[in-house]
Amino acid sequence: MVSLLLATAAMGMLLSILLGSRAPKAWFAGVLVGAGTAFGAAVLTLVSGEVWRLHSGVRVGGEFIHLQLDALSALFLALLGVIGSLGAWYGREYWSEAAHPRSAGAGRAWWSVLVLCLGLVLVAANGLHFLMAWELFTLAAYFLVTLSRHSRVVRDAGWLYLVASHVAVLSLFAFFGMLAARTGGWELGPMRDRVELAPLFWFALVGFGLKAGMFPLHVWLPSAHANAPSHVSAMLSGMTLKIGIYGLVRFTGWLPVPESAGWVVAGLGLVSAVLGVAFALGQHDLKRLLAYHSVENIGIILIGLGFALVAVAQGNAAWGRLALAGGLLHVWNHGLFKSLLFFAAGSVLHATGTREMSRLGGLWRVMPWTASLFALGAAAISGLPPLNGFVSEWLVFLGLLEAALAHRAAAWGAVMAAILLGLTGALALACFVKVCGVVFLGAPRSAAAAHAHESGPSMRGPMLVLGAACLGIGLAPVVFWPAVSRAVDVWNPSWAGAESPTGLPALGMFHVGLLGVAAVLAVWLWRRVQGGVVTRALTWDCGYVLPTTAMQYTAGSFARIINEWFAWILRPVHHEERSMGSFPARASFSEHTPETVLEYALEPAARMVMQVSRTVRRLQHGRVQAYLLYLLVGLGALAALVLLGNGT
Amino acid sequence: MISFLGFLLRLAFWLLVAPLLPGIINKVKAWVAGRRGPPTLQLYYDLAKLWRKGVVLSTLASPGFVAGPAVAWVALISAAMLMPLGAAGGALSFRGDVLLLIYLLALARFCTAWAAMETGSAFEGMGAAREVSYAVLSEAALFAAVLALGIHTGSVSLVTMLSPMAGAGALLLAAGLFTVLLAENCRVPFDDPNTHLELTMIHEVMVLDHSGPPLAVILHGASVKLLLFTLLLVQAVLPMGGLSSAGAAGALAAGVLGVTVAVGLVESLMARLAFRRVPLLLTTAFLFCLFALLMAWKGGA
Repeated sequence: MVSLLLATAAMGMLLSILLGSRAPKAWFAGVLVGAGTAFGAAVLTLVSGEVWRLHSGVRVGGEFIHLQLDALSALFLALLGVIGSLGAWYGREYWSEAAHPRSAGAGRAWWSVLVLCLGLVLVAANGLHFLMAWELFTLAAYFLVTLSRHSRVVRDAGWLYLVASHVAVLSLFAFFGMLAARTGGWELGPMRDRVELAPLFWFALVGFGLKAGMFPLHVWLPSAHANAPSHVSAMLSGMTLKIGIYGLVRFTGWLPVPESAGWVVAGLGLVSAVLGVAFALGQHDLKRLLAYHSVENIGIILIGLGFALVAVAQGNAAWGRLALAGGLLHVWNHGLFKSLLFFAAGSVLHATGTREMSRLGGLWRVMPWTASLFALGAAAISGLPPLNGFVSEWLVFLGLLEAALAHRAAAWGAVMAAILLGLTGALALACFVKVCGVVFLGAPRSAAAAHAHESGPSMRGPMLVLGAACLGIGLAPVVFWPAVSRAVDVWNPSWAGAESPTGLPALGMFHVGLLGVAAVLAVWLWRRVQGGVVTRALTWDCGYVLPTTAMQYTAGSFARIINEWFAWILRPVHHEERSMGSFPARASFSEHTPETVLEYALEPAARMVMQVSRTVRRLQHGRVQAYLLYLLVGLGALAALVLLGNGT
Repeated sequence: MISFLGFLLRLAFWLLVAPLLPGIINKVKAWVAGRRGPPTLQLYYDLAKLWRKGVVLSTLASPGFVAGPAVAWVALISAAMLMPLGAAGGALSFRGDVLLLIYLLALARFCTAWAAMETGSAFEGMGAAREVSYAVLSEAALFAAVLALGIHTGSVSLVTMLSPMAGAGALLLAAGLFTVLLAENCRVPFDDPNTHLELTMIHEVMVLDHSGPPLAVILHGASVKLLLFTLLLVQAVLPMGGLSSAGAAGALAAGVLGVTVAVGLVESLMARLAFRRVPLLLTTAFLFCLFALLMAWKGGA
């Protein structure tokens, strides 16, 4: 059954690649069939827990094809199926043939390539094929990011993405190459007892961590996610980052890891979580802000994985299972609500033509669907009950609390992690109140925002599906637990058979009750208000009678307090021109948050390398006489070395 | 049937007792200042009056302006349902319910701030920004306090976390939690509920544009939150393990009254802090809780 479904999926995707540029409808059907059947195969595997394998006699690149789908890959494949099909649906209207005649066809074809290759990475059980699929999906994503390449910003973002991705690929080449050299073949599989393979973990951490966007390797992420078309942003953020996580989880499960690996991963996770949200608070570009929240959420997932590794190192402590389950469930949850948020942000961009939050405002009036669905996603990403983000954060938290109570060596780390994770949640909430308030509430700050329009049904549909999924996982976490639990058992078989956390059914019930009562009471209060005397009046502004939209709180002013706390790393740049003198001219104020790691660390380093190379390059100028002189000097030096060496 | 009756009784307790606390605080303040002050039941009269009144809605407000306070109120009441009441325990208890309680408070904060942003007023934006920013620090302190209690009792569910008497760190924990209580409930020295200057308010400025029934819901929710934090503080530090259930209930009531009077005294004797000092005081509260955590750690090792 799984074979049949996966074969159909591959056929559907291949067909859609071929048809992509010319026949939009056939392409969409192909993607739907492909992603849908892949989703089906993943669900079957997650329900049954059986491993599907395919050994083929066909060689690709000199290696026999070996594919396998276990619960861990199925977890990611299910997410790919969801985002792959919904993104295609959304893209039909968002990047339509009519609006983008030059790039729409290419966009469709590359979308299919991307989805197919991501799927291949997930099922590949051969290092060489894994690398091939990896490189192909990286390239496909590059072409998708740069779909509107007439803009210089987009080209720059694409270039940065391409370079960073290839640093990751380089590291993975080293990882798989050395793995193949030490094991004598490219075949992948569980090798937990080969302790000598442990140091290879560091190559995997750099390669996969770069792809996952973990701090400080996230430099490529904000610009790529902000400048890509929104359905591509959703795919990049919702799925391709998770492929980095998949790699880390997969190979920490199959291979032994160094003693300190767990602490390093957890530490990087904490740094990513706190600084990711801090940078997000400093952003004024809607999509760039969402991109930084991906760094934060990847951090939460890494905290789960890191503490699971620590637990394994400390004798398979049971709390590690909770932490990893929380992390893996967060993979799904982040994929769902971040895609939802990017779709909604795309809908705003589509309607207003700007991502600049200070030009938006009051959009709920013209875009009620987008506004409500964005609010749902915002509540989910802030980890608020009764939505899915809370369930996974709750599991991670529970793992950390149990670790702290266990009073073992890991307890102090767990205490710190729990406090910082709590801090992250509160910061994320602050950030999303800011976004919702500035973009969707209040009065429009520009004509574009005032004359926006709601997006059409094929952009609203995917958002509704994602919103329902966020709500579903929140209301019935028990239904989704077995799937996550199976994936955790694949990662560490010695945890198999453990029970589900006792609070999970109660939590689900509580969520259902909370949602029901809140909905009833909200409607009741609204009725009560409507039933009485309702006077519409201007917002109270201290008796001021002529408020203007410019008087509203902006994104910058809202985040000011927290930005000041993080000024040591955010390094915000202010340009202020006060109105002075008796007849003041115009005043202005602008604020910009630079990419600290990129602008203060990587670019200076790159400049230094360039400078050194430029100096060295002077040696090579094309004058043969000088080259002869080099030879002579070199020979002389060698001769002197040999003579002196003999002399001593 | 019995459990349903218990649930109703518990709900009635939270609905009816909570508005008493602000009345007591005001009475204490009046007494210190030598005034007669409003009646202790003033908030009940206010709520009844507001519930019957009409509403002035901002022209910019969406239905979320009314839904926000409703959802926030539900979140606070459901958080209150999780909070154990002495020997009676909580309405629902499971491993990790304490995290749910903290995040329900966050949900209430999200909804209140959302409703504030609806109006597009600079004042309300200011209040919302302050509320969500300072909450970052008080939430960190709350997490440290929860961890201290958890490590002390070896449990992560509220019922068992709160019932045994706390160890040597009780004093530190009390100081930390009391400060968090003042900050989260917008009392002096963080915020002045009686101020008339919009620029210096936090919570009150967020609800400037609310009126009628939604304002009643907000005021009631605020009193529930105050009672919630008071009960958390009292049960976290007051040793009641050895008392009979009637004695424990009496001790609980006395403790709540004591904390309420203390809030009133602080309010009478202190001035509001300058805003740039607020993070400092909250960080101090966090450190108090962290040291309580250290004490719990040493005690349990």
